[in-house]
Amino acid sequence: MAARRRLARVPWGLLVAVAALFVPAIGSRFYTFVATDIAIMALFAVSLNLLLGYGGLVSFGHAAYFGIGAYACGILMKVHAVPFSVALPAAGLLAAVFAALFGFFCVRLTKIYFAMLTLAFAQIVWAVSFKWNSVTGGEQGMSDVPYPDLSGLAWVPGLAGYRTSDHFYVLTVGLVAACLWILRRVVRSPFGRLLTTIRENPERTEFIGVDVRRHELLAFIIAGLFAGIAGGLFGIFNRGVFPDFAYWPKSSDVLIMTILGGMGSFYGPAIGALILIILNQEITSYTEYWPFVLGILLITLLFLFPGGVVGALGGLVRRLERMRRA
Amino acid sequence: MLRRSLLVTLTAALALLLPSYARGEKIKVGFPIILSGGGALFGEPAMKGAQMYVEEINAAGGVLGRPIELIVRDTKGNADEAVRVARELILKDNVDFLVGTVTSAEGPAVSVVAKENKIVFIAPIPKTDQLTAPEKLHPYVFRVAANTTVEGRSAAEVVAKWNVKQIATIGPDYAYGQDVTRAFVSWIKKLKPGVEIVDQEWPKLGEADYTPFINAMMGKKPDAVFSCLWGGFFVTFAKQAKPLGLFEAVKLNVIAVGEAGSPETAKTMGSDYPFGIWGNSYDAFYWHPSPAHRDYAERLSKYLKDPYPSSWAIQGYTGMQFLVEAIKKAGSTDSEKVAKALLGLTIDTPIGRQTLREKDHQADRGQLYGKMTLDPAIGFAVMKPPTYIDPSRFMD
Amino acid sequence: MPDLSFLLAQSLSGLTAAMFLFLIASGLSLIFGVLRVLNFAHGSFYMLGAYLAFQFVLWGGMGPGRFWWAVLGAALTIAIVGGLVERLLLRHLYGKDELYQLLFTYGLVLIASDAAKKAWGTQQLSLSRPPGLTGSSRVFGTMLPHYNLFILLLGPTIALGLWLLLNRTRAGRVIRAAALDREMLGALGVNVSWLYTGVFMLGSFLGGLGGALVTPVRAIVPGMDVEIIVEAFIVVVIGGLGSFWGTFLGAVIYGQVLAFGILIVPAFSIFSVFALMAVVLIVRPWGLLGQPLGT
Repeated sequence: MAARRRLARVPWGLLVAVAALFVPAIGSRFYTFVATDIAIMALFAVSLNLLLGYGGLVSFGHAAYFGIGAYACGILMKVHAVPFSVALPAAGLLAAVFAALFGFFCVRLTKIYFAMLTLAFAQIVWAVSFKWNSVTGGEQGMSDVPYPDLSGLAWVPGLAGYRTSDHFYVLTVGLVAACLWILRRVVRSPFGRLLTTIRENPERTEFIGVDVRRHELLAFIIAGLFAGIAGGLFGIFNRGVFPDFAYWPKSSDVLIMTILGGMGSFYGPAIGALILIILNQEITSYTEYWPFVLGILLITLLFLFPGGVVGALGGLVRRLERMRRA
Repeated sequence: MLRRSLLVTLTAALALLLPSYARGEKIKVGFPIILSGGGALFGEPAMKGAQMYVEEINAAGGVLGRPIELIVRDTKGNADEAVRVARELILKDNVDFLVGTVTSAEGPAVSVVAKENKIVFIAPIPKTDQLTAPEKLHPYVFRVAANTTVEGRSAAEVVAKWNVKQIATIGPDYAYGQDVTRAFVSWIKKLKPGVEIVDQEWPKLGEADYTPFINAMMGKKPDAVFSCLWGGFFVTFAKQAKPLGLFEAVKLNVIAVGEAGSPETAKTMGSDYPFGIWGNSYDAFYWHPSPAHRDYAERLSKYLKDPYPSSWAIQGYTGMQFLVEAIKKAGSTDSEKVAKALLGLTIDTPIGRQTLREKDHQADRGQLYGKMTLDPAIGFAVMKPPTYIDPSRFMD
Repeated sequence: MPDLSFLLAQSLSGLTAAMFLFLIASGLSLIFGVLRVLNFAHGSFYMLGAYLAFQFVLWGGMGPGRFWWAVLGAALTIAIVGGLVERLLLRHLYGKDELYQLLFTYGLVLIASDAAKKAWGTQQLSLSRPPGLTGSSRVFGTMLPHYNLFILLLGPTIALGLWLLLNRTRAGRVIRAAALDREMLGALGVNVSWLYTGVFMLGSFLGGLGGALVTPVRAIVPGMDVEIIVEAFIVVVIGGLGSFWGTFLGAVIYGQVLAFGILIVPAFSIFSVFALMAVVLIVRPWGLLGQPLGT
């Protein structure tokens, strides 16, 4: 037990973030791209988990806010030449505004109806981005989103030799770490605890005088905000924004990441993002039958490790401890 | 004396070793293409065509004495997945070149990655004008597919010869459908100013029920129809339009682009095909413009173990052929030099002479057009006769 | 002003599409009504039904009557597949969070799509209309294909048959009771476990039947599973999840909205359907004819 408590006191998040900064120095450019992908998707998945794990709200349309953020950031930077430092917060903000608008209706529904309505809204976002040629570029999307001007980073010691994509990676890790820190503060705040209480028993929480819907809506907005920031970063990383970003398979991908890592812990979804991205990359280089592999993986997971990887590891640690004590 | 002979032997040995070392080093070509979902219809045969070309060139000793290795990756039809695999191919598998992509989102998306990494990228299938539009063009992107302007204008050239005045159009409501239709409409109006567009129908991409669109179209009483529904969408459209009497109502004055005249589509539909309409295709195994094409069709038939080989394979094949000829011309696998060699390059492909135009990196790729007539010997429709429309005189 | 025969043609085409959708969506709705599982894989059953019908025709030939045997064979095969899935896997997820059930059926979608690709390739496939139903007749100045007429008659027939099954037989009463109170039924000595298997098989059968029956009028292509499941979702949401006549009504409304919607706002069919779904969920989440769930 003491060992576990000591382990828990280590600031793992900070350590990982600092370690991640060295990826460009030791890995190839390729691994820098992989690491950027993972960092952004980790933020996306953790933002979803605020709803899924903490709020017990199954959103099947989280990609909507990712897509809105990506388009907002991409359009501002490419078409209007707005600097990144303005465009990214604006992307998060716009995603939050839409999350407030859609969420207002969604939190009125429960369970499967909530999931269906989030899906419907996400599909509307997708359809609009697919159709609105003059603004979003329609089905062809908007390629050639510029990298932010990061020449300032070249002055930081140790970063001088890095390329633009490496600079963007460093920036991404910093921003994602900051966002995760804020999200962690949120789930540990009284608001976060109340959210969990609502998940466990909405009726009783209502009885003690808590406005359940308002709390759920706030969670929905915060989740949308950070999904929007993740989307904005991803659009730049991907060098283009496409309607696929808001299409429902993106929503299911991020759900799978969350479940895979484990929605019972804060960093679980981030670990799920890491595993899914690496798996996708390794398996698709051997076979084109990735959907088949993913389907089998998903079903195995649901039956054998419903708590995800983190849940399974936690269970293992506990069992080992019990064995040692016995 | 001894020392000198030793030196000679060593030099000779080295001389022998060096080219063999070079011979062993493969030229890697990344091939990101759709292999799952709807677009796999085009992606898979194009990949097979590229693979056949690579096997043939390797059997003949490779290029610059080096074999080619084709590394295929599924883009799943997603632009972000296409970007991801393109980066993986370039940075992890260290490919020297990229050939591939299918959709009009994937093409421009991968083009950005190619530009960033200064890697030659040849697109065999995407038709969107955007890919090689002036603001998107860069030294490393090339296209061997026909573009939407060429396809729309070719169709207009055919229709201009018909005695029709009131035309209706139907096409999927996204970039490809809109662009081809626009190109067709503006060109037919230029060729035949008296023509009137009486109706335009825009079913969504993926539509499975065209009946309401067909009814609406017939309500406007057109005397000719232009369609750019591709693949299974054309099959569905034609199967629903036939019993509604659309084809008779316009006296078979229908032109169906989007490769609706391809042997694949004709074979799928068999006797359900609306015989008598006009269709187009990239290639046809029964088309015999030259001994070289006859030979190609036979080799492809053997390679695919299919008596009626795919018309899409040619796109992967010519894409790879252009790349290899450019490597030969450049005498190098350096993308910088190969990109320069590709400019204005003219090669002899199985379908005839093709040139990658210097000004927009676009091949002067036309397509086959013909009246779809039942061939009783094989049991499905063929273009009779297949006519290759050379677009060079009406390309911008 | 469009003439009457055109309006008739348009509403008939909307109705035909509606009957296809009803066939498919009724299975989805039935499974949700009783098992409380939203089956994403229903679209996959539809797709596999189409591919299997093609395969059976390929083996059996297109002679008189062969098409119908192929359709029946495909639907029955899908029913068996559905039964196996429910018996071996899905059963163990009852009582767990619905997220797990959703993701389980999504996993099936992924597996089925690759299995179909492995078995039938990536090229589009097609079946002819069955002999006897190839022609069309002129009705009030509009052409009505005989196969469409057949579907227009089959839809209500199946609806009536299902209604009789659910309302006039003991099995039907038990199924309806199971939708209301599972524990009570178990206490009364009904074997709920096999009942669920039966319902899942019936639902799968309807999905497979729908897939097999569309083959004469639609191409069989990879990706048809995803296209249809979204439409089926919309239909059951409009009508009310789990409500039988609601699904019928939902399908009819959906078909008419699509048929006439393209005349008014031609380019917006892609998003009007999702907007319709969202509006119904906001205004009346339990659908037009459904009942509010539990609380």
